[in-house]
Parts: sequence; C-alpha cells; structure tokens
Amino acid sequence: MKKLFLTSALLAAMTASAQADEVEIAFALQAGAVPVSCSGAPMPLGKSTTPARLRDARFYVQNPRLIGTDGTETPIELSQNDWQSGAVALIDFEDATGGCDGNKDTNTRITGKVAPGHYVGLAFDVGVPPELNHSNPETAAAPLDIQSMAWNWQAGRKFMKIEMLPEGGIKRATDTTRIWTLHLGSTGCVGNPAKGDAVACTHPNRAPVRFKQFDPQRDKVVLDLQSLFADAELSKDRGGASGCMSALQDPECADLFPRLGLRLTDSAPGAGNAGQPLGLDVPPMFRKAPR
Amino acid sequence: MKSANKSPITAALLLGGALLSSAAIGAAPTAEWQWQLPPGFPQPAVPADNPMSAAKVELGRHLFYDKRLSGNGTTSCGTCHLQKLAFTDGKARATGSTGEHTARSAQHLANVAWNATYTWANPALTTLERQMLVPLFGDSPVEMGLNDGNKADVLARFKNDADYRQRFASVFSGETEPVTIDNIVKAIAAFQRTLISGDAKFDRYQNGTARLTASELRGKNLFFGEKAECFHCHGSFNFNDQTFHAKTRQVETPFHNTGLYNTDGQGAYPTSSQGIIEISGKPEDMGKYRAPSLRNVAVTAPYMHDGSIATLKEVIATYAAGGRKIKRGPDAGDGRKNPHKSELIGQIQLSRQEQTDLLNFLNTLTDRHFLKDPRYADPFAKHK
Repeated sequence: MKKLFLTSALLAAMTASAQADEVEIAFALQAGAVPVSCSGAPMPLGKSTTPARLRDARFYVQNPRLIGTDGTETPIELSQNDWQSGAVALIDFEDATGGCDGNKDTNTRITGKVAPGHYVGLAFDVGVPPELNHSNPETAAAPLDIQSMAWNWQAGRKFMKIEMLPEGGIKRATDTTRIWTLHLGSTGCVGNPAKGDAVACTHPNRAPVRFKQFDPQRDKVVLDLQSLFADAELSKDRGGASGCMSALQDPECADLFPRLGLRLTDSAPGAGNAGQPLGLDVPPMFRKAPR
Repeated sequence: MKSANKSPITAALLLGGALLSSAAIGAAPTAEWQWQLPPGFPQPAVPADNPMSAAKVELGRHLFYDKRLSGNGTTSCGTCHLQKLAFTDGKARATGSTGEHTARSAQHLANVAWNATYTWANPALTTLERQMLVPLFGDSPVEMGLNDGNKADVLARFKNDADYRQRFASVFSGETEPVTIDNIVKAIAAFQRTLISGDAKFDRYQNGTARLTASELRGKNLFFGEKAECFHCHGSFNFNDQTFHAKTRQVETPFHNTGLYNTDGQGAYPTSSQGIIEISGKPEDMGKYRAPSLRNVAVTAPYMHDGSIATLKEVIATYAAGGRKIKRGPDAGDGRKNPHKSELIGQIQLSRQEQTDLLNFLNTLTDRHFLKDPRYADPFAKHK
C-alpha cells in the first residue's frame, strides 16, 4: 500500500510541474453548530452538559488524499511549510487567548496540489506515520518539532491534543483537578536498545477518516466537541489520567475511543486488535459542513 | 552503523579494559576519548550520533548542575540527582521546579550507560537522550519546566554566557548555531555515560585486593544462591537484569512485580503508579517495574519505585516475607498474594542472622570514590 502511495506521489509530483490543481481543505472546531474558540464562552459538553472552556485543540493529519469516482485515492501533495512536512500537517485551533496556554499561531487549513481529475471524496488519517512518529522532536522538521505535541513518555507524538476546562473542576477519588485531557497517541511502545532508539508500538491508534462525498470548495471538515465528548463525563474522572491519555485501562478512554473511530482494547481476549480502527468511514468526532 | 575503527588501544586503558566496539550501533570513541573501565566491565554502547569526547563530557557536567537549564531557573539535574547519594535525592518522590511531585523516586545514576531501558517502568525509553526529554519538557508533572514558549529564552541564557558559547562551539564545531536543546541533551548524556561505579568493597574482593567479613561472605552466598535468589533480578556486573553494552546482540528487558501492593485483592497497585501496564495496557503487567542496580544501595534510600520502604533492613524483611501486607489505609491489601507477583518472590525463610548477613553484603556495594569523584562533582559548588 505504501509503495503504491509513493508511486502515485511521484507521478503527482511529475505531473504537478506540468499540470496540477491547487486544493485547500478547511477545518473548523465546533460544539454542535457553534464555533469554538479559546476566548469563547463555555460550551455544554459531555453526558451532563457541563459548561467547559477550551484549553487546547490540535491534531496531526497524515496522508490526505482525494477520492475519485471509481474509489481510487490520489494523494494531495502538501505544500511544505511550517505547518506541513512530507505528508503530515498540523491543524491548530488554539491561539493562546482565554483559557488556552499554547502559542498564538493557528492553522485551520491543509494546502497542496493534486493531479487534475474528477474527485468526489476526501480521506485522511489522524496521526503521524510510524516512520516519523518516533523522530527526535528537537531535530525534526516543523510541524513535528513542537514539544507540546511530543509524547516523550511513549517516545512519540500526540496525534490529537484536546484539553478542556470544565466549570467546577473534575472530581476524582482524592481531589479535584482543573484540566480534562485527551491525548491520543500510539501505546504499547517498546524500544529496541540494539537498534539505537528505534521504537515499535502495538496499539497504533491512528484514526482513519473517509468522506465519500466531499467537495473542498464547498465543504469543510468539522471537529465537533459535542460529538467527541457525547459519552464522556467532564465533571468527573474515575481513574488514570485526568481525562484520557490513550491508556487501555482508563475508563474515560473507553468513553472516548469509539467517538474517535478506534478500538481501545482487544475485541476478545487474544484478538490483538486493540488500537485498530473500528471500520467506520467517518468517526463520530468529525462531520462535513458547508464552508 | 558499523564502526571501522581499528586504531590500537592505548596504554591509558586500565587492566582488563574493554575492547573497541564494532557493534552495529556503536560509535567508535574519538581519538581523544578512552573508556576507563573497572575490570570486568564491558564497553558501553554509545549512539552513533553522540560520540564521546572529553570536552563534551565536561560541557555536559556543567549543564547537569546548571539551574539555568530549568524554565524558572531554580532547578538543575543535580537538584534531584546528588552525587553523595549516588545521584539520587534521598526522597520517596521528587519535587519539580514548580513544586509538583513525581509519581516515583528519582533514580540513582551509577552506571546508567549500561541500562537497556530507563526510568522505573518504560520499555520505550532506551537511550539517555530520549529519556532526558521527559524531565526537561514533561508537564505532568512539571520537572525542569521547559516548553515551546520558554525554550528560546533558556537557550539565550547559555548563548549569552561566553564560557558556554566557547564550549559549545568547540564541542559541536562546524555547526552554525551549536547552542540547541539537542546538543544540550547530547552533552549531558555523554557526561552521564561517564558516571561509572565499580570500586566498591565487593569489587575489590572480586579483584583480590580486599577481604569480606564472615557475615558479608554469608550474605554474598545468600544473594547469589537459590535460597534468597536475589541474583535472579539483581545479578550481572551491575546488580540488575537489564544491561546492554557495545557487543549485546539481543536485549533482555524484564520487568517484575515484587508483591508490594494488592489494593483490590486482584493485584492492583495504587493508581498513582502501576508499572509497565501504564505503557502496554496488558493486565499481567500490573505492578511490574525494572529492577534497579543495587550498586551503592546503602546510600539510595528510600527504596522501591515510590520510596515506600524506608530502610534496607525492611526491604530484606519484605522479600523474606514474599511481599508486603498493608493492614490499614487507602493502600491496604496483601501484596504477598498479588496474582501478578514474580514467581521468584516466594516466602523465603530467612533467619534474623541471615537477614543481617544480606544487609552486610549489600553494604559492600557502596563505592565511596564514586560518591566523591571530582570528575562527577558540581563545578558551581562553593568550596568549603
């Protein structure tokens, strides 16, 4: 599959110089129909519709491609800049205002070129490919050089970083804490000292997204926090990290992973499919909306 | 990357010193660097992109003890890693630069060059360089407190220091801007690789230049015998079971549950720290931790991943009992019955005398020279 992708990319690159169409995919952060921003009012989220402000919302997009009428996929050749490197782009909704603590720069679009053709759909994954995921954040090209998107504890990256500030805090067994966290990344990572710092992870946790009908000029991709948190309780945390950091035993991860379109744990003992996609076209956290 | 270095070993190497590496990942020592290894110690593996040099080690030593490396300027690596305690801090848990506590004890740093994995329970962290990003940039808890926002300011502190500017330029010659986080990490890692401890009383006994007392000898035989079985997890030249060196081909990285907790009767450890299950998600990994090196164990109290055993005497008693039963409080439970407990931790009938002998043996692992060696000391400390 990878070989095919590279060959197509090469073809696309060759034809790009001769003839290629510019393409831009727009992303938006919403709670239902309401746009979400760092300095915006709290939104009712989760099973108890807890009012919550945004603290962070960023995610990596890998391998964006357009879908032809016959279902074939053509890679979008990304413009290389501070937000896009190779086939990876960073979408960044947080602007360091209000409850957000990151940096002022935002990026809500993917831009690039695609071979001319008749396209009807859009596909991409939330994630960073394995061959880049474990690169050194201090020497990697932007946008893989951002420490707050690094997950040094699992020697990789956070594919998605969403953090909320629910009013009243998050009650835990022995205290109340402030930040409800979603950090999505590969888990079950093991290094091989004999190969330097090479790392392989048993639970990839990369979420595929496939809009069969999508027109980049008319449509945008919406990350809907209301849908993402539909089965979660933002006023409480029953164990593990405050929120979910992709751990298999974390009860809040069990509430979130189906909304990401991912399987958190093995479907049956020994199945070995923890961290694999559930097989949905579009995870519930995403939908299409008019630009 | 294969090393093709065939330069002769100079006489600077100690007796029984190591062979030059030709391992797949080994970086050949630069012409000026020679390992000074205790007899019987294999040459450490060094990442190909971070070869050793005396100047790099010295730069790393300065950075290790420099509080300017923390975001708020209050904390250095040396704050939680004190040489006189074999580079741990004497506390159950460490406190970061902004006052947050770690879940686990700061580890001692003797012989870290030979660790296959780093920290108490993380199979993914297999080099010093990779591990170091965790205390530098981690935010739960905040340790050194570096982040995307303050990185440039922190680097400026070193760029604006003439001594550091010169050191960085000399070590990383040819780089247009040598003062980077990556180079800081490399220099500190190189310094850490020189923290070598192999001159304890036990080592001298092994080399025939010291004698053990009768009690220490009995303790040694217990340690390496099938009754106490300590050596199963605390064997090797480094008194642990996860060593890796320049010629290692297959790496073993076992992790063990030693029956310290059983909060739910089904093997659970306290949620604040549950071992490698936090990485792997596998139920059988509950409570499994890396067996640390026992070198200098007499000065690295308190013990276990959370510092929950205060003295060596109590550690030995806990192992003799096959684990720990906690009668009261939020962590109550009988760890001796933990279903994930290592099969090597049985109930060992150790008499009082035998426990004393073991304790005396463990005390022979203290390397007083290591605790005072000026090569590893704080260059900023005021002379007394």
